[in-house]
Amino acid sequence: MLQAHSFLWHYLWLAPHVLQVALAILIWRRGLHKLFPFFLAYTIFEAIEEFTLYGMDISPTISGETYWRALYAGLIIEGLLRFGAIGELFLRLLRPWPALGRLGNRLISGTGAVLVLLAVLAAAYAPIDNPQHAIISRAHILEQTLFIIQCGLVLFLFLFAAYFRLAWNNRTFGIALGLGILSCEHMATWAVMASGALLNRRDLLDLFNMATYHVCVLIWFYYFLIPNGPATTSAVPLPENNLAIWNRELERLLQQ
Amino acid sequence: MTLAIVLVIAAVLALAAIFRIAVSQSLQVSRGANLTGQIQALDVEAFRNLVNPAEDDYLRRRLPSARFRAVRRQRLRAMAAYVQAAGQNAVVLVRMGEAALASGDPRTAEAARQLVNDALLLRRNTTLVFVRIYIALAWPNSGLAAVQVIDRYEHLNGSAMLLGRLQNPRAPLRLSVSP
Repeated sequence: MLQAHSFLWHYLWLAPHVLQVALAILIWRRGLHKLFPFFLAYTIFEAIEEFTLYGMDISPTISGETYWRALYAGLIIEGLLRFGAIGELFLRLLRPWPALGRLGNRLISGTGAVLVLLAVLAAAYAPIDNPQHAIISRAHILEQTLFIIQCGLVLFLFLFAAYFRLAWNNRTFGIALGLGILSCEHMATWAVMASGALLNRRDLLDLFNMATYHVCVLIWFYYFLIPNGPATTSAVPLPENNLAIWNRELERLLQQ
Repeated sequence: MTLAIVLVIAAVLALAAIFRIAVSQSLQVSRGANLTGQIQALDVEAFRNLVNPAEDDYLRRRLPSARFRAVRRQRLRAMAAYVQAAGQNAVVLVRMGEAALASGDPRTAEAARQLVNDALLLRRNTTLVFVRIYIALAWPNSGLAAVQVIDRYEHLNGSAMLLGRLQNPRAPLRLSVSP
């Protein structure tokens, strides 16, 4: 059951992407494509890419080399779209608050630059574990590189929002949570694969990746289905106080 | 393999941090009721005295160098305590303002938006000043301009007052102690 080409393996490869097609339709019908264009593009591309790769994988006429080349190209495009989706989240979180705009942009640019540097260093030190099929090792290293940057950016997004107590709305929060879980888990598994470890357990790692992706798609689905209120709201009664003292203070400040 | 272990540990820590933040976000609903009790009234005049460069110049002229550095460090620590409290107040005000944003009254919603924006600016400024205070603690002879924080805090008082008056004209919000 926990092997390649088992029923579970077929289900986990296809089901999340069938759900993504439904999610894309839901986003489009609700007019949310204007709010999350990169996320929608990512959702559609990911579904098409995975259906294509699945077809190539089970087709006996497609060579392994061709499959890995297609995967390689798909990785680059989906990686760029995911970065676009993260940028979109950051924009949606910061847009209402001009006070944080410049600082936020500087911090995320700086964080991105540091993460790119770290990811490139990690890639440079990663071994080519299978010299006869170097394209496979390179694909693993590319995955590791993309997910190091993505994981760092999503973590930064959460930390930034938590530090300033910025309120997420449900959809933004759901997308960020799904991308966060996806990035962390994929970074760990691709790092293990890129290192050449657990060669006999690759099927398990693949299944773990696919199962995590399935969970993330369900999270996105859930947050797009529920009403889009703020993720946190609280009715706060304001305390009693002395208006006269405050007025005096404000008048004094105005006269300075 | 070492690199893979490092990355796996980093991934686990990052995931734990994301889950913790996500859970704390949802728990804000239950903690929201006691927000006003978390605001600390601050004595703006006392803070203004602490950050007054003229006071520092006077102390520098009157005290021996070693004594001046010790006094300056004490003043900087007191300043840090004020700035930290102002930053905490800003956080509480962000949450109060965000809660008021959903108000059906456009004037209240606009006042809430202004309050949140000012509170975020104060939070940003207190963070930057906090860094500068700790740098100044290492080099007590260097100058330190925290005036921006006072100005922002006073501006924030105005925003909080406006929102308080719009939400409840009889019970406005106070952020600092008047002289």
